[in-house]
Amino acid sequence: MDDLALLWAIRRDEGPLSAEDQRAFEAWLAEDPRRDGALLRAEAALALLDRGRALGALAAPESSFPPRRKVLIGGLAAAAVAATVGMVRFAASPPKEIIATNLGEVLRAPLADGSIATVNTDSRLEVTMGGADRQVELSEGEAWFEVAHDKARPFIVAAGDVRVRAVGTAFSVRRHNSGVDVLVTQGTVEVWRTTAPDDRTLVGRGRRTFIADGANAITAVPAAPEIDRALAWRDGGLALEGEPLDFAVAEINRYNQRKIVIDDPAMGRMSIVGYFDVNDPEGFARSVAIALHANVTASADKIRMAPEGT
Amino acid sequence: MAESRAEIVAWVASNILPHEAALRVRLHHMAISPDEIDDIVQDAYLNITRLDSVSHIRDGRAYLFAAARTEMLQRVRRERILRIEFLSEIDALSVVDEAPDPERHTHARRELARVRRLIDALPARCREIFELRRVQGVPQREIAERLGISETVVERQAVRGLKLILQALSEGERKDDYVVVRIGSRPLFKRRRDG
Repeated sequence: MDDLALLWAIRRDEGPLSAEDQRAFEAWLAEDPRRDGALLRAEAALALLDRGRALGALAAPESSFPPRRKVLIGGLAAAAVAATVGMVRFAASPPKEIIATNLGEVLRAPLADGSIATVNTDSRLEVTMGGADRQVELSEGEAWFEVAHDKARPFIVAAGDVRVRAVGTAFSVRRHNSGVDVLVTQGTVEVWRTTAPDDRTLVGRGRRTFIADGANAITAVPAAPEIDRALAWRDGGLALEGEPLDFAVAEINRYNQRKIVIDDPAMGRMSIVGYFDVNDPEGFARSVAIALHANVTASADKIRMAPEGT
Repeated sequence: MAESRAEIVAWVASNILPHEAALRVRLHHMAISPDEIDDIVQDAYLNITRLDSVSHIRDGRAYLFAAARTEMLQRVRRERILRIEFLSEIDALSVVDEAPDPERHTHARRELARVRRLIDALPARCREIFELRRVQGVPQREIAERLGISETVVERQAVRGLKLILQALSEGERKDDYVVVRIGSRPLFKRRRDG
């Protein structure tokens, strides 16, 4: 395609055109008005690059700066802060903050020390900013923490008897029925159990550890590609790369009152690939149904999936 | 409500550009020449510049494919050439893509990670300038001063970098694409690893 379309997109992006350039630009466009299509395409490529810069996604790989996300979650979450979430501050010192989300909510909560907790659906945190340390108790659900650097006051997340300690880093903690999952996106954290406080495991960037209830050893495994997918909830997404339908449905059901029900165990084992909106269970069911030859019956409180012809 | 050019550009960046590669592959399979593919793609974009608003378009990919289809039909009428098999393929362009496929939700992060790799693959001089301008946000005038070269040289490299990146984007990176393939009579979501 026309290189001049790229040139004009770049020039116009640099700032207002000089009078001479403006005339040349208009003449170029007038010569063949269809060139506006090529111009739009070039402008869109520049916009894509700009967005990459804003998200920090274009930072050079060797850069030591963590990718910064300007906006994690849109207006919905902001509204949730204002309307739904009770931020209760107790008079007692040190101040304690309770952050809780309802079903389907994802909340980005700035903490008093400059750290940010992004809290997934149906979760509850208690934050205590003390002089010696910063404590967060995750009593239910999942949260991703971007910890403000403060060497003097370690940031400690408690999930049952599991403790995760960070100085300045980013990681997520999720409580399951059977244990606690820790994913590290930046820096390093220290993980241990209160039952064995001296037995500490370091978990570095791009690693994950699942601390099963009752088991003793805590081991971290590399999981960089999975981590991005596992944290897709921060954007309201569910990224699947061959996980069984049962797993996908359990994930989507975390966010919605209206639950998806799979009527056929064999269908539940089919693997799914794709990126889905967690807040649209019916859309998910209908997309998957097309691929798996299933029927979807949606009622007010349930979305049933069953193989065709049953 | 009418939207500004900037709003439309931002929408095109997220909803049209990521699907251009798939459209090109389809047109290529219809045995259309590369020049003609370029023309059809350009006209599909042109079609969008004529819109007052894009907020009513729910599916960018379907819209892009439909725009390409309209453009091809116009060509067939203009040229008064009637190729039956060609027409049925044009129809297929809109029919097949009506199904809501999860593969269409292109993951913005993945796309940007790809752009990052494309920047890394640029020729050295071009990459240096492209990094400064697009990654660090330094204006071209300042880049010229810093590197002690003329603004024209900076601009030329900027055009070259953008051209190479757009080209790579529009050719697609098939090994990262998710496609729906049929195994026997049942379509399954599968990852395509070959080209």
